[in-house]
Amino acid sequence: MILPKFEFHEPTSISDACELMARHRGEARLLAGGTDLLVNMKKKVLNPKRLVSLGRIPELTQVERSNGTLWIGAGATVSAIAASAMVARDASALGLGARALGTPLIRNLATIGGNIGSARPAADLPPALIVYGAVLVLRSVAGERRLPIGEFFKGPGLTAAHEDELIAAVVIQVPAGYAGAGYLNLGVRKAQDCNIVNVASYLELDGRAEVIRAARVALGSVGPTPLRSPSAEAVLIGQKPTEALFDLAADAAQRDCMPILDFRGSAEYRRDMVGVLARRTLTMALAEARSRN
Amino acid sequence: MSDYQVINSRLPRLDAPAKATGRAVFIDDMSFPGMLHAALLQSPLPHAHIVRIDTSKAERLPGVKAVITAKDAGLVRYGVSPARYDETVFCHDRVRYVGDEIAAVAAVDAETAEEAVGLIQVDYEELPAVLTIEAAMAEGAPQLHVEFPRNLSAEVHQEFGNAADALKASDLVKTTTFKNKRQDGAFLEPPGCIAVFDLDGRLTLHSSTQAPHYVQRTVAMVLGLPVGKVRVVKPYVGGGFGIKAAANTGELAACLLARKTGKPVKFNYSREQVFMLCRARHQFVHRMTTGVKKDGTLLALQHECYLDGGAYSSFGIATVYYAGSLLGGPYKLPNMKYDGWRVYTNKPTCGAQRGHGGVAARAAWEQQLDMIAEELGMDPIDLRLKNMMQAGDVTCNDLNMSSLGMRECIEAVRNSSDWASKKGRLPKGKGIGMACGFFVSGAGYPIYRSDTYHCTATVKLAEDGGTVQVYSASAEIGQGSDTAFGMIAAETLGVPLDSVRVMSGDTDFGVDLGAYSSRQTLMTGHAVKEAAEAAKRQVLDALAEELKVPAADMDIREGRIVFKNGPVDFSGIRNRYIKEHRGWSDSPQEDFLTFREASRIAYLAKGTIVGTGKYKPPLLGGKFKGAAVGTSPAYGCSAQVVEVDVDLETGRIVIEKMTDAHDCGRAINRTSVEAQMEGSLAMGMGEALFEEVKFDDRGRVINCDLAEYKLVTALDMPPVEAIIVESDEPNGPFGAKEVGEGAIMPTIPAILNAVYDATGLRIHELPLTSERVQAALKAARAKK
Repeated sequence: MILPKFEFHEPTSISDACELMARHRGEARLLAGGTDLLVNMKKKVLNPKRLVSLGRIPELTQVERSNGTLWIGAGATVSAIAASAMVARDASALGLGARALGTPLIRNLATIGGNIGSARPAADLPPALIVYGAVLVLRSVAGERRLPIGEFFKGPGLTAAHEDELIAAVVIQVPAGYAGAGYLNLGVRKAQDCNIVNVASYLELDGRAEVIRAARVALGSVGPTPLRSPSAEAVLIGQKPTEALFDLAADAAQRDCMPILDFRGSAEYRRDMVGVLARRTLTMALAEARSRN
Repeated sequence: MSDYQVINSRLPRLDAPAKATGRAVFIDDMSFPGMLHAALLQSPLPHAHIVRIDTSKAERLPGVKAVITAKDAGLVRYGVSPARYDETVFCHDRVRYVGDEIAAVAAVDAETAEEAVGLIQVDYEELPAVLTIEAAMAEGAPQLHVEFPRNLSAEVHQEFGNAADALKASDLVKTTTFKNKRQDGAFLEPPGCIAVFDLDGRLTLHSSTQAPHYVQRTVAMVLGLPVGKVRVVKPYVGGGFGIKAAANTGELAACLLARKTGKPVKFNYSREQVFMLCRARHQFVHRMTTGVKKDGTLLALQHECYLDGGAYSSFGIATVYYAGSLLGGPYKLPNMKYDGWRVYTNKPTCGAQRGHGGVAARAAWEQQLDMIAEELGMDPIDLRLKNMMQAGDVTCNDLNMSSLGMRECIEAVRNSSDWASKKGRLPKGKGIGMACGFFVSGAGYPIYRSDTYHCTATVKLAEDGGTVQVYSASAEIGQGSDTAFGMIAAETLGVPLDSVRVMSGDTDFGVDLGAYSSRQTLMTGHAVKEAAEAAKRQVLDALAEELKVPAADMDIREGRIVFKNGPVDFSGIRNRYIKEHRGWSDSPQEDFLTFREASRIAYLAKGTIVGTGKYKPPLLGGKFKGAAVGTSPAYGCSAQVVEVDVDLETGRIVIEKMTDAHDCGRAINRTSVEAQMEGSLAMGMGEALFEEVKFDDRGRVINCDLAEYKLVTALDMPPVEAIIVESDEPNGPFGAKEVGEGAIMPTIPAILNAVYDATGLRIHELPLTSERVQAALKAARAKK
């Protein structure tokens, strides 16, 4: 397992990085933490001629909150997100996803942009980002565009980003009062795992009346991309949150998933676990919504 | 506290500073001037004829120094047990698994060597493959080795007493079938080596190995060299667990390439190649029928076992014997019938791994004993205590329990885990379970038939006095054996550990069969003790002449000479010593005669003081075929209690606590004993819950890395209470016996029994993944 040879670029600004990606369109790949890319290069799954490192671009690592918006630079490491009090308060499910990812060593290298950009169906961060309705800020020499994260994933390793585009940031509208979310993942062991199923749920209540105004459920590892569960959301919206309602939503989520059988788990088990994790994350989301009034 | 000055304490490991600071040198850190790097060409097919091998392109690649195949290596057959030498360095006519070695390249760097391997062209004629025990044993199945028909690598048929009659006489008869999965050794450091030929044609092989002696013999045999011209040296080793206990193809290929090129050649296994080398735990299928009387008295065990061996034999003959023989104890079992079959399949070769052959068998049986206890309305601990052997008992298959602290172990875990208030009283989803086990303290016989000593040791006193040098060919592989032998030498000679220097792992230092079968503390420990006693005797004899005091009236303790009958005037010796060290600032000022002065005086009187020691067990075991496997001068034993929390929806098991008591005879270093217990528990827990080497239908390992092959992580590991029990083994040095493997025996069944307590489900297949447990829970709900 030897890393193949490649040209290495280390731009120090986003615009320089965009410039390099445009100039070497088709033969360059972006290197963030490298926890996925370098492994695949060693395995000869990928063999890019050039790597454009994002490691020396300070503007990519900002995490800040202004005007009800959480701005997370794509270069923020997973450990920074896991440790961020701001994330824990405003996007707790994202913080849980960050803490569930890999090991301390992996988390210190891996970035949120890389976790999104590599587009692995079992990735730990996308489900929470999807239920928070996160928007991706994409940059290229052509300029900036914004894309809801739900429209970004196209298949395993495939995204809506253009060849020369990079993810600059992830923007989350901080949920209002009476809103909450939950994230759970299930693998084989407690750490350093590839998820068998991972689920995030988000609930927004209509004030003290406790009617569900908005609901989003995202399912990981049970399709070619992380999936929204429109059936579960339809079951929830407009209803009062009860255990029985969450059971119905969990059943609906099971109908929306399309798990495959592989050596990590059977389709049947994955489908069963979608139900369990959907119900449990809805319960977490409700508890947080009630606590955040 | 004990009367010992050094052993039985908690001393820091001798290798701790080097390892903590990263200075310890492993094979990957080593290099030699002009060193070449080797790469192996391995079969991509599980079973095929080799039609043609064309190495010409590879040879022409710039930087390539040699390409070798079976033509260069020859077809010397080797293996572990001479009765099953079924491997050659390279395949010449047929490949038998994905990973079977065909050729090797030496080049100026690893990249070039890898590239050259890709340029070797092999034409195959693919053959049908057998990937399971069932397929391999089926009528008309493709055969792997013409000389071993029906794909049988080995079979065992033994009966002690009359099991069938005893089962008829039993009040309760229970039959279960149990299956584990193929494991990987998963040591931190993949095997690797550097072969260096000197200009006189002598070979030095530096290798990450558990058994320098066996590697030395195999290399000599395969290369056609006198054993005396082959030296094997072991640097620091990052674990072995049994897999590194025999010569591997990488070592043989590096030696052949070094001979051909005249340059040092290095070869490192990649992690992926470790899975193809395998030599780890077999998959076993056990079918056991046990008969008991109403009062719980065990009457008989009828036992059949099938092993998925992979393509070659490795340690497999011993494995198939151990799978039966290690159920002879620790319970009184008058009748035992065992039939075992080890089957060749087109997969990487399985061999020995911690708890060799006995782990799955123990898991199957200890779970069955719990089922029997429940049906009889007995507490599982009471059933075990009722049938427990005592020190001095001999099993029906002639294993002598010369010491057995089994009862003390059970009492210890019962009390420490608060068993009485938990068993059967925990809420649904929570469970507690226990099990017992035992293991050899060193195989009673070497792997090749021989009257050789199993180990020799030399203790030399540095000529300037004061420092004790211990030499043995034993293998420190991370388990702490160097420290144990340093402590044994220090205790014996009566000096602090600080005065002892330990050198090991070099075949130039003597004979030692190596670090396997939990043999070194007892066996090498004996040899070191005998060598230290010999050195001490010489010092005291020299002093006796010098001081005109009988040697019997003197002793050495804590670095000082003790005169048993009152003070003796030693000023003459002191003056001589001080005169020899004029100008030195550290002349002895103590009001007693120091060991440093005494050993110097001994040297001046007699020349270099060297004591030698040796050990081999007495003739052990019965007369029946295979009686040797399972014999040992002593047996360690243990009991464990495990507490689990099972998520009844996801099936996920979280182990909350493990309480383990192990009888190691006498702890040489208490901290090391506890570490071995904890390591055994972690490995057993991994096999119970997570670990499984998985194959696709083309015989390729799917999960050949440590991301997808799931070991226990630090987060999964529960708090462990490790309790040391000391039974003072009469056949052990200072009463010591094994701890390295026995402690794994009860882990899996204790988990199985705890999961039953939590869920009401008996699961007879490993690993207990969340999915397997959830499926069982779901099936049980559907039945209701």
